[in-house]
Amino acid sequence: MNIKDLMQFGKKNPLLKREEDNPYAVLRRDIDSLFDNFLRGVDTEFFGSGSGVFTPKADVRENDKELRVTIELPGMDEKDIDLSLSGDMLTIRGEKKEEQEDKGKDYFRLERSYGSFSRTIPLPVEVESGKIDAYFKKGVLTITLPKSVKAISETKKIEVKVG
Amino acid sequence: MADTTMEIEKKVTATPQQGERTRERKVYSPGADIIERTSDILVLADIPGADERSVDISLEKNVLTIYANVETTIPDNQRLIIMEYGLGDYQRAFTLTDEVDKERIQATVKNGVLRLLLPKADGMKTKKIEVKAEA
Repeated sequence: MNIKDLMQFGKKNPLLKREEDNPYAVLRRDIDSLFDNFLRGVDTEFFGSGSGVFTPKADVRENDKELRVTIELPGMDEKDIDLSLSGDMLTIRGEKKEEQEDKGKDYFRLERSYGSFSRTIPLPVEVESGKIDAYFKKGVLTITLPKSVKAISETKKIEVKVG
Repeated sequence: MADTTMEIEKKVTATPQQGERTRERKVYSPGADIIERTSDILVLADIPGADERSVDISLEKNVLTIYANVETTIPDNQRLIIMEYGLGDYQRAFTLTDEVDKERIQATVKNGVLRLLLPKADGMKTKKIEVKAEA
């Protein structure tokens, strides 16, 4: 056996040029992207955590005419919710009070959250501030924000043509 | 408690005990507070999006199962931009002890919170069995 056959790995294969073919490069790239994704999750926490004691969760949807923000606020009353819009920032504040009932109670389990919260949601487009509609039903706050005429007219659909 | 930030994270429930689901949808385990009071046990569970008509409570032997169906009506082809909570139903089971009077369990739903009142049985009544003389 020729000693050169054992040196197969050291041989420079002219076709082995792409990064994807080098296992170490691939591993390195995967690890890099792992850290990138991890850090991205930390600093671009979309709404910020707010200053409240707990952070209610929100979903935002849109169609051509309006934005719709829904927030899960179980156990709250509509009068305890404070909603305001300044510029393109929608702020929801409130306080969820713990039920104060008779004495002599013992907690087995406490999984629900109480306290005050504040969330500020940046809106992606301009909205008609006079036509915002909010209603609270079944523990879910739904805010409908119609897009402004300007925002609607500025949206352009770009056709993709066959070249 | 004021300086700790709490996140409300919905947890997906373990495999449902009642066999296969007829609908493809997520099922979450609602967060619950269980409070023992002098004459009853109070269970509060967060089920935002569900109301009294969509909650189904069943008691089988000692297992109290709550299932809440959340209607997911999204109007006019709305696209999701940001999703922090998932839409789905709720399910959770509690095992009751004999301390609870199973006949008098009450449940109410208000503002997305299920309130279960489990009254304690009047003492642990022991039944007396009369011994009769054989004829």
